[in-house]
Amino acid sequence: MSALHYARPESLADAIAILEQYGPGARVLNGGTDLMVRFQKMQVTPEAIVDIKRVRDMSDAIVWDGDSVTIGARVVMTRLIRDERIRRRYPALVDAASTVGSIQIRNRATLAGNICNASPAADTVPPLLVHGATVQLVGSSGSRETPLDGFFLAPGKTARAPDELLVSITIPPHRSPYGAAFGRLTRRHGVDLASINMACAIDAERAVTFAFGAVGPTPITVKDTSGALADHTVSDAQRDAALQALIARTSPISDVRASAAYRSAMLLVIGRRVLAQAQQRRADFDARE
Amino acid sequence: MSNADAHSGITHSGIIGRPINRVGGPERVDGTYRYVGDIKIPNVLHTRLVHLDCGRARIHSVDTSAALQMPGVRAILSGKELPASVKRFGPANRDRPILAIDETTFHGEPVAIVAADTVWAAAQGAAAVVVDYQELPGIYTVEDALAPGAALVQDPALRPNSAYKETNILNEWKFGWGAVDSAEADLVVENDYTFPMMTQFAIEPFTYAVEPTSDGITVYSAIQHPNYLQRVIAEFLDMPLSRVRVIAPDPGGAFGGKQHAKFEPLLAYLALRIGRPLRLELTLEESFQAARRTSAQAHIRTGFQRNGTLVFQDVEINYLIGAYEDIAGRLVAKGSYAGGGGPYRIPNVRILARGVFSNTVPSTAMRGFGLPQMNWPVECQIDEAARELGIDPVELRMKNLPEYGEVFMPQDPPADGRWAETLRKGADAIGWGKPLPPGRGRGISMGLKLGPTTGASYAIVRLHGDGSATVLAGTSDMGQGARTVYTQIAAHELGLSPQRIMVVMGDTQGVPFDLQTSASRSAVFMGNAVLRACRDVARQVQELAAEHYKADAVIVEPGTVEVGGQRKTFDQVMTDRFSKVKGEVIGSGSARAEYDETHPLNGRPAFYEVTCTAVEIEVDKETGVMVFHKLVTVADVGRALNSQHVAMQDDGGAIQGLGHTVMEQYFMDDRGRVRNLGALDYRIPTTMDTPRELISLHVENGDGPGPYGAKGAAEGGILAVSPAVAAAVCAATGAMIRELPLTPQRIWEALHT
Amino acid sequence: MAGQLIPITLTVNGTTCRSEVPPHLTLLEFLRDTLNLTGSKRCCGEGECGACTAIMNGEAVNTCLILAAEADGSDLITVEGLSAMPYGARLQQTFLDQGAVQCGFCTPGMVVAAQYLLMNNPDPTPDEIREGLSGNLCRCTGYARIVEAVMGAAGDE
Ligand SMILES: Cc1cc2nc3c(=O)[nH]c(=O)nc-3n(C[C@H](O)[C@H](O)[C@H](O)COP(=O)(O)OP(=O)(O)OC[C@H]3O[C@@H](n4cnc5c(N)ncnc54)[C@H](O)[C@@H]3O)c2cc1C
Ligand code: FES
Ligand code: FES
Repeated sequence: MSALHYARPESLADAIAILEQYGPGARVLNGGTDLMVRFQKMQVTPEAIVDIKRVRDMSDAIVWDGDSVTIGARVVMTRLIRDERIRRRYPALVDAASTVGSIQIRNRATLAGNICNASPAADTVPPLLVHGATVQLVGSSGSRETPLDGFFLAPGKTARAPDELLVSITIPPHRSPYGAAFGRLTRRHGVDLASINMACAIDAERAVTFAFGAVGPTPITVKDTSGALADHTVSDAQRDAALQALIARTSPISDVRASAAYRSAMLLVIGRRVLAQAQQRRADFDARE
Repeated sequence: MSNADAHSGITHSGIIGRPINRVGGPERVDGTYRYVGDIKIPNVLHTRLVHLDCGRARIHSVDTSAALQMPGVRAILSGKELPASVKRFGPANRDRPILAIDETTFHGEPVAIVAADTVWAAAQGAAAVVVDYQELPGIYTVEDALAPGAALVQDPALRPNSAYKETNILNEWKFGWGAVDSAEADLVVENDYTFPMMTQFAIEPFTYAVEPTSDGITVYSAIQHPNYLQRVIAEFLDMPLSRVRVIAPDPGGAFGGKQHAKFEPLLAYLALRIGRPLRLELTLEESFQAARRTSAQAHIRTGFQRNGTLVFQDVEINYLIGAYEDIAGRLVAKGSYAGGGGPYRIPNVRILARGVFSNTVPSTAMRGFGLPQMNWPVECQIDEAARELGIDPVELRMKNLPEYGEVFMPQDPPADGRWAETLRKGADAIGWGKPLPPGRGRGISMGLKLGPTTGASYAIVRLHGDGSATVLAGTSDMGQGARTVYTQIAAHELGLSPQRIMVVMGDTQGVPFDLQTSASRSAVFMGNAVLRACRDVARQVQELAAEHYKADAVIVEPGTVEVGGQRKTFDQVMTDRFSKVKGEVIGSGSARAEYDETHPLNGRPAFYEVTCTAVEIEVDKETGVMVFHKLVTVADVGRALNSQHVAMQDDGGAIQGLGHTVMEQYFMDDRGRVRNLGALDYRIPTTMDTPRELISLHVENGDGPGPYGAKGAAEGGILAVSPAVAAAVCAATGAMIRELPLTPQRIWEALHT
Repeated sequence: MAGQLIPITLTVNGTTCRSEVPPHLTLLEFLRDTLNLTGSKRCCGEGECGACTAIMNGEAVNTCLILAAEADGSDLITVEGLSAMPYGARLQQTFLDQGAVQCGFCTPGMVVAAQYLLMNNPDPTPDEIREGLSGNLCRCTGYARIVEAVMGAAGDE
């Protein structure tokens, strides 16, 4: 076992060089709320910890370009939640970020970390998925942008190469009216990881997208093509049938947080509630514009 | 901030019962109190345990060679290398080895210990120890343990005199009275109930240090029973008690989990062997593997007359314990004995209780000591009868409560409280019978716990030359506020303001013997010992005054003598008497309850702790998620020595009870591994899980055996939460669930599957 | 042991500290073992209990989840420095008066979290207090008195 090395590069180039040098033995340290837990339990035994908090190009800014927004890799949940424009435009993302851990956690936890950690239960991922977010990565072979949908490969595994850094997350503009909502189920009321979570978005064309978390090895995105979900004149039975068609694409398992059967049943129950809230927000959006 | 500020202006008069602030509070809010883990020991080595990721295993070999080469690693000891002369230990039976020798018997039993310069080095070293082992099938449930031909968890040689040594049964207890089989009932309610495996989860993880000294050994442990630990270590090392010093700073929460020795003997052995002080701080995960509450399964039949009168109780309860006895014998007996009947008049009772060994985390005491497991079925049965008979649950309970002074358990003291008042107070405070919004339900329940049946507490009070006093009392103040209450007793008896009193605890070298801090006993036993020590001081001051002023002296009120027609405070007497050659007055007091072989528990309880809990909850029927609107807990405390402290204890007991009622449980896989060690997946209540309104009330009739009529308190709050909540869930949803905890999933399953 | 040592400089409760720390050392260990500021407690070591809470650059954090090396350049307030903070002394007193302290092991983290809460929301509702303190576990009190204590210390200084 070689000794642990701590690196605090100040440029992206240096950071990537260190990542390259150590290969899979290097771990990126952002807010540390995932990495430090695993490090102290010796679930990961890195050779190098690469602290990216002083890397100049790792921004903690939220930058708007028209109606598109880019969130830097250093943006922590608290900063996101406090941002007035984000609150107005992306209440589902704010709701999700607000459920992440406790205030102490949210003061350190980054959106980028939540993504790169690739937990199937990551709370901010479903809203980002339904919003069609993309991530920007930089590595030794240059930079690239890739949709978040498809980025997750397995629990703890993403399409990020070991020498790549996630530098930002972009949410594309949405034509109004648009409404989205987030919901989850936990075992207790205070600070808890989700037994299931989900987000739902309804766009201007009435296309309905759901993303479900903690019901498969990765979060999954599903689209309603029946049209039944955007239309609030359909019967409850029709709506439920359409929801069930989406839920059928999940593959929940039983673990210490919930049984597979309970998870499946809750997808429908929470799905209805989240759908109703997304419809409401879309209607409110309509009224505002 | 000092203690003096917190209490400035408070005088001794009328101090009994007053809600004075917690003594020891200021150093806790500013972070200066030194818990055991905050003590620095020069030259100490840090240790880490090595354990295996399975429930039970045969150890072939332990290879420490690579680990010993690691930087900073100083010594490693494995069970394989233990000389046969190293004894086993245990509070009742010495059945537990300090390290697993040939087999691990539960998930987390250490096979080796690594000592190193730093915690990090010890952890790296522990990770580098290579254990060659073969996983073995284990016994993880009551059914497995009792199955014919089941493998034995414990080697019969470890309990040669037990009639049950060829089984997995620790012991079987049969209690009761009347004739259950011939009792005639109009309604018989018969059900099975389970109580989960759960853990004390003190926020302070287990932490120990041991320091060999030139004249013996010093053990640092946040132990609830310093004197008990002293004895265990002395016997283990063959040292006289006087050479074993236990320093026990106030625990950062204990709840029964810190009653008995765990890793102190191991550290003591290794420290002596290598001649270095050692320190061990368990991770929270390891703390979960060090202690838990006994889980239980009960089959119960309860008979009622049509008018609600209880006719019989017939219970069989199996408590699943760990692989070692610990204090399970006492726990199973005491928990089932009193719980079988509860605070009710039942003419016919039959209790069959077993302690059942398994390859699981060592079970030990926890608040309520075997009672919550028993009270859960007993009280649920009453609610079920109330529903079946169409009688209001409060009225049904009222009908069966004994009157003050009525014998309700033939071999025990009569009812020592006005328990109807306790129930009525709970019902009124929850708004029993008032209309409720839809989706909500109320439930109410009672509980009775036997106070201590035996025990011994000794106290010394030193009245110093300046009229201030030091109280030496061996209780552990783990949050219950014993320091405060002893301060109040001494302040009252000696006529001193609280800031002139210092309570010293937790050091066997200077503090006299106390059996233990458990069973809600300290206010009564140690309280009486302190009171008597103070009165011993008073008597001596009186004599001294007569001698010094050469006149007749009489005590006219606590802390004041009249001598030669003049009133003098103890303070004045002391400063007058000891103005030249200095000195002090030393008083001692004790309180004991002896063995009584004629009683099934070898002793009659000193008092009963009777409680009532009432709740109002709301259930989201689609998800099973529950919200607590209100929780009321009522305790009959005889006399509250500090009204705020009593309420604080009941608040805490109630919320701990809420924890095991709605969320706490170990998940074990079929290899005996606990899957949710630590705070991530073992859920306890947070600020957001508690009731919107939490109300703790007490009943005071001055009828207890403790100082000024006090009874014990602090365990009652936990006893009756589960059945009250289950009744409320049933009222809100129609689902009666007999398996704890009542998680959202379980409620949903009851409603939808 | 020839391991890496990282020089750090930080301000703890108004005092500048310089040290050299190994890469694995957590900020909590640094406070407790190096600076002997043992008021911050360790329970879970995984961000669940809040016993190790301190205020770092104005934000409440779990010091068990931060490396000492990461804290270089930061300004830290721990329970030992609390009484100098706007609500500190008041909170300490209301915690005592309301009976919000039993074993006290959670208390340092709890009062620091409460200080942070009031700094950001001087007039919180009980629900806001519950939400703000949900990252601090207490096994003794049942929390109701803690919420009362924070209510009692609230309001503009
Ligand atoms: C008590 C507690 C409660 C929690 N509750 C929740 C919850 O309710 N919901 C939830 O979703 N999560 C929860 N989490 C998990 C965690 O807080 C989040 O996942 C958080 O967003 C991670 O962000 P971070 O900056 O702390 O990540 P870090 O721990 O720094 O990193 C996480 C992973 O991502 C990698 N990484 C981080 N940033 C980058 C980057 N820019 N480029 C490449 N790789 C990177 C790291 O190498 C690491 O593998 C909880 C954690 C704790 C300790
Ligand atoms: S010790 Fe840091 S949160 Fe528990
Ligand atoms: S007072 Fe003991 S944990 Fe909070």
